[in-house]
Amino acid sequence: MRFERIGREPDYSRYMDLKEGWLDRRIFSDADIYEEELYRIFARSWLFVAHESQIPSSGDFLTTHMGEDAVIVARQPDGSIRVMLNSCPHRGNKVCFADAGNTRRFVCNYHGWAFDTAGDLKGMHEEYCYDAGDIDFKNHGLKNVAKVGNYKGLVFATFNSDAPSLEAWLGDFRWYLDMILDNEEGGTEFIGGCIKSVISANWKFGVENFIGDAYHAGWTHDSGTRSMNNGQPFPPIDMDNSYHASVNGHGWEFGTEGVGDLFLLGRPKVMDYYNKIRPKMEERLGEMRSKIFGSVASASIFPNVSFLPGISTFRQWQPKGPMQFELKTWVIVNKNMPDDIKEEVTKGVMQTFGPGGTFEMDDGENWENCTTVNRGVVTRHERLHYRCGIGRQIEHDTLPGIVYRGQYNDANQRGFYQRWLDMMTHDEFGKMPARPEPQLGNVAETRDLPGLFAL
Amino acid sequence: MTDTATIERTREGTTASLELTHALTQTLYREARLLDDEHYKAWTSMLAEDLHYHMPGIETRYRRDKTEQVTDLTRMAYYNDSKPEILKRLSRLETGTAWSEDPATRYTHIITNVEVELTEKADEFRVYSNFYAYRNRNERDEDSLIGNRIDIWRQVGNDFQLVKRRAILKHNVMLSKNLNIYV
Repeated sequence: MRFERIGREPDYSRYMDLKEGWLDRRIFSDADIYEEELYRIFARSWLFVAHESQIPSSGDFLTTHMGEDAVIVARQPDGSIRVMLNSCPHRGNKVCFADAGNTRRFVCNYHGWAFDTAGDLKGMHEEYCYDAGDIDFKNHGLKNVAKVGNYKGLVFATFNSDAPSLEAWLGDFRWYLDMILDNEEGGTEFIGGCIKSVISANWKFGVENFIGDAYHAGWTHDSGTRSMNNGQPFPPIDMDNSYHASVNGHGWEFGTEGVGDLFLLGRPKVMDYYNKIRPKMEERLGEMRSKIFGSVASASIFPNVSFLPGISTFRQWQPKGPMQFELKTWVIVNKNMPDDIKEEVTKGVMQTFGPGGTFEMDDGENWENCTTVNRGVVTRHERLHYRCGIGRQIEHDTLPGIVYRGQYNDANQRGFYQRWLDMMTHDEFGKMPARPEPQLGNVAETRDLPGLFAL
Repeated sequence: MTDTATIERTREGTTASLELTHALTQTLYREARLLDDEHYKAWTSMLAEDLHYHMPGIETRYRRDKTEQVTDLTRMAYYNDSKPEILKRLSRLETGTAWSEDPATRYTHIITNVEVELTEKADEFRVYSNFYAYRNRNERDEDSLIGNRIDIWRQVGNDFQLVKRRAILKHNVMLSKNLNIYV
């Protein structure tokens, strides 16, 4: 399935030179580029739509967006999950107005067209008005996405039937993802509820901040850090033993000290909990990953999901035009944590990375002004500097991906924009270069891999 | 917290005297003025040591959906704080590096629809009110937060201290970039 837009800009490579390390600001503000992103990035990528714990039972549903397309994510009687457009094929009205719930039917308010949780059309108001041959029920259900996938509890969907498998899409990044999704027996779950807020900024500023911008943390969040930890400043960064790792536009920046993000959460009981399970985590994920977990770190999955392993905020940057995004925030916890630790994590997340959180409060204004200054035509033609650490790429024995030394770096941001450019440029997935070539191969379970070269 | 009056009315409420209603209304107005002026030291002195300050996140759900979004304290909330946790958040402002508070945000809290009820505790009173909290910052950055509150206030000498507050913001998507405000 391909969605085409008339008159699209053919060459996006002039908006950046990632070998030199600069970006053109128009990619953060231009309405035409934004429209093209909806077609080429959001209508073609695997997009996060739910954590399976949000819809545990048959008939459970939630609503969200894939790009600007409104969708319903629903658990089926057989336990599978379907994702479909939240739009009636009759006149296009939404068929579900709730954020979440449980139902047998989605019924359109306009003419009573009724769909089951798989999206199949089951009937409508005054059905007799349709003569034989007027309507084929089979072809008038809610349009399902092309593919749904689940990686260790995270549910993704894509409108693109040509997309590679979810496993291939995530690729070697699964080695990193398992640090948050699989660091303890039982996996993860989301805490109930979702906090949504609006930031008048381009969606990519949120993603790039979490994908690699450890650099801003000690400055932007000095006040937040000190408030959560009795006046102590941001933990020192060890540039020799911290890294950026990028895989096909996904990225994780991290230290290896094991405690930095847990410290920033400001909840000593949570720190104690992870210290207690760390030996088991090491058995499960190997020494390197058990050292990375809990360190100063942040990560994004291309194109628009981010999280902080250790701090446990999980979030999605939903595009709402070139100069606005909606931020959806959840709390991710290990399913087997005792209730009081889950409560501590939840409180900690909301006090740091909720809208009233001591960290979150200082981010939004930066991103808004990075975006809105580009209303000026001269300003928007200026370049932005993305060259930090450009010469620090290394080969690492254990870490998969394109690895750079030193977590104060723009490397993952460059990797993200490279993938952005690849998707804006290439019509076929097969023609997009792998960045880098997969190193882990087709392993089903990265838990069994202590390191690359221990294979 | 079990030993204090409940936010939910447990029996037919008894309307307070004109004098008590006046005193508590004036307390709410004073609190609003302190918040407008960022006099957080004075504001926190109005908070009881056993404070529970709660602003739940509310999802849009169908009427038939009985999910308890307000009283289930394990769910996500803008605020679900004790007094020490409020003080921790506020300590950010004392660091001198809370960049998004400098220049200062301009606040106006409008408090209306005040009702005062007696509770099963002689020294604790249930106070209903509505809030309209307006923020404006820098050039034309502005938003409005509107909602209902139910408080429990405790009489301590001639003053009152806030023991419990449940503030229900009417937004689903909070139409702001942050919540650098208390209501």
